[in-house]
Amino acid sequence: MYDDLKPADFEATALMAVEACAKAGTTAERAQLLAEAGLLGVLAPDDCGGLGLSMRFGVPIASAAGKGLLAYPLIETMVLARALAGVAPDMATALCEGSVIASIAWAGFGDDGVVGRAPLAHEAAQVLVFLADGRAVLVATDDQVSVDAAPEFDLDVPEATLRLSAPPQGIVLSAALVATLKAEAQFLRTAVVLGSVSACLGLASDYAQDRVQFGKLLSANQALRHRMSRDAVVAETLRSGLARALTAPREGAGMARDALWCWAAQAGPSVAESAIQVLGGMGFTWDVPLHRHLRRMRALAHQGAARERLDEIADAVLGSTDNEWYGDIADAR
Amino acid sequence: MTPTAPADAFTPGAYAARARAWLHDNLTDALRTDRALSEPASLAERVAFEAEMHKAGLAGITWPKAYGGHGLTLREHLEANREIGRAPVPNSVNSIGKELAGPIIMAVGTPAQQAEYLPEILNMQTIWCQGFSEPGAGSDLAALRTKAEATADGWRVNGQKIWTSGASKSQRCLLLARTGSVQDRHRGLVMFAVPMDSPGVSVREIRSIDGARSFCEVFFSDVIVDEANMLGTPDEGWAAATRVLSIERATNRMYRPWRFQSELEHLVAVCRSDKAAYAVLKSHARELAEIRTEIELLKGHVETLVDSLLAGEEIGPRGSFPKFFWSEAHQRFTRLAFDIVSRFAPGVDGPLRDVQARMQEAYLSSRAETIYAGTTEIQLDIIANRILHLKKVA
Ligand SMILES: Cc1cc2nc3c(=O)[nH]c(=O)nc-3n(C[C@H](O)[C@H](O)[C@H](O)COP(=O)(O)OP(=O)(O)OC[C@H]3O[C@@H](n4cnc5c(N)ncnc54)[C@H](O)[C@@H]3O)c2cc1C
Repeated sequence: MYDDLKPADFEATALMAVEACAKAGTTAERAQLLAEAGLLGVLAPDDCGGLGLSMRFGVPIASAAGKGLLAYPLIETMVLARALAGVAPDMATALCEGSVIASIAWAGFGDDGVVGRAPLAHEAAQVLVFLADGRAVLVATDDQVSVDAAPEFDLDVPEATLRLSAPPQGIVLSAALVATLKAEAQFLRTAVVLGSVSACLGLASDYAQDRVQFGKLLSANQALRHRMSRDAVVAETLRSGLARALTAPREGAGMARDALWCWAAQAGPSVAESAIQVLGGMGFTWDVPLHRHLRRMRALAHQGAARERLDEIADAVLGSTDNEWYGDIADAR
Repeated sequence: MTPTAPADAFTPGAYAARARAWLHDNLTDALRTDRALSEPASLAERVAFEAEMHKAGLAGITWPKAYGGHGLTLREHLEANREIGRAPVPNSVNSIGKELAGPIIMAVGTPAQQAEYLPEILNMQTIWCQGFSEPGAGSDLAALRTKAEATADGWRVNGQKIWTSGASKSQRCLLLARTGSVQDRHRGLVMFAVPMDSPGVSVREIRSIDGARSFCEVFFSDVIVDEANMLGTPDEGWAAATRVLSIERATNRMYRPWRFQSELEHLVAVCRSDKAAYAVLKSHARELAEIRTEIELLKGHVETLVDSLLAGEEIGPRGSFPKFFWSEAHQRFTRLAFDIVSRFAPGVDGPLRDVQARMQEAYLSSRAETIYAGTTEIQLDIIANRILHLKKVA
């Protein structure tokens, strides 16, 4: 039915919707705008009100959200709607329609009673909580949980901490569904970072081509030109890395995705830092949104456990190789 | 060497498996780049190996069959190069011929030149060198002074080239010279395929920081070059060549990310064979993971450009992205690897000594990677000027 759709078509739609969301007063209004544009259910099957499209279509949407600092738990909604489709279709439908706002507590396990890093959870009716055994439970944020706004680092999608008064109860997602959901979120986070990186680079290059010091444009100075070129390399690396990770054959897909995410989590914030430097004192002001992008990307890095993923990559690197040229060297550890 | 099926019997997907199997059967210990042998393969052995590689479908993959190529696409080229990268295969002694001169000749050469030069590149009868840089013209190539004057006997060439890789082993030089004066800059540049045994050509090797004697000075003193050896016409030839150069920057030695990964796998496998070495390795776990992620992203750069080229897109200045990225990433890797192997216990031998020698060499030789094929600063200039279009004046 959607054979003629292209991922790029979604980019323009998403940018428009994200712009409209910036003017909307409440999270509920944003949910409506995003749902009307068909963005929340892009990954969910059509019998739940979704579009049943692949991650290639999710990426430009997430990237637009990053660019426009969308104040909505978009990543969470997109991956939850898909994961819930086969388990709780009504809930999946409600997420796609924007009538229920949901989040995911990316840090901690429900078994311990406290979970955290749940974007906009103080506005969410449902929050997915991971369990130590790999499964997850979608809990209603009513009587069984209290939500503390964590110190607000990310200003646009602030994180919350949840305290559970009882073992989490609700719709259960299997460990396999949870693993897929986490993998999908990794792609979408990388795409959000790419959006923020493009926005920061755009702000820096606009400013540098406008402000004059020493009688010439800032952008006439090679030091700044090269700084911005390096930042452009980051953007291009994320773009090409996403293209590759989305099409990597199964055996290399996990490494392609995780390596990309680990790299994005470090390189993305560095572009925001770089842009702050290009803008000088202006870059350090509250009103210029560079710090918002910086905060957003730093928060995402932790939601996506980039450090932990990097440690896993280290384990893989230190492990035995499947390269037969080096397989015959005796292992003596 | 084992007999091989003609390359056109390969189908995509099977290409990689065939390449892998062939390398297994034909890459001898002497040819392997991961062994600190006192007697590495001779030039003649390397030339013979490369000629066989071509016959087996591991080189000249995208070249038309009429020129001795295999008439396939960059897709098969990529598949084969993943395998070449994965194995300790020596770098080509004729990469200038295969990845620079060849494509330029295909773009601007006459049918007679194509028939004469191209098959001999793939069968390794003619090794090429690139005579572009001069003492006064490095990054600023358009400042080159080597002069070509039209005479009754052909073109008379006078001047000097420098950093000419492999010149002392080459039969032909892809020479860039000018017909007018230095003030003409890009105008009046002309390219020739000069036989290195022409009277008046002399070569002096320059020793590089890794101890090798690969790059050279090449002097041209009243060298007469036949009109038939001019590639394209003055001006046109250069314009076409720069287009080719941008593609080459993006696609040459396509195996790099897989080679870097295999260097890393070599280092790890050897360290795993020794408790003390493994302890050193482990202390750098995080940095190693960062290197591994960069290798993965480099694959993204390479494969994305291959996709663009296959889709018929112009890649223009985008070749600067992978060039910048791979050269800096590899330097970070070799610096780390050097530190790790330098902490091995004194007097190690066997595989530990092999990897130590390889990484010491890689550390030094990788210093050139941010210099040749356009320095890092030049790549960043290209990105600023031609991709970001950053203004210099309001
Ligand atoms: C191992 C090796 C092999 C080579 N093989 C060949 C070959 O086969 N054929 C051939 O023709 N050439 C070859 N070269 C030459 C190579 O292309 C040049 O070295 C390169 O283009 C740089 O020129 P240069 O050495 O004159 O340095 P320069 O251009 O003098 O540069 C010196 C430094 O100044 C910087 N710089 C220069 N201009 C600018 C600018 N506008 N802005 C900021 N910084 C700048 C450079 O980045 C560099 O750091 C080889 C070089 C090496 C190292």
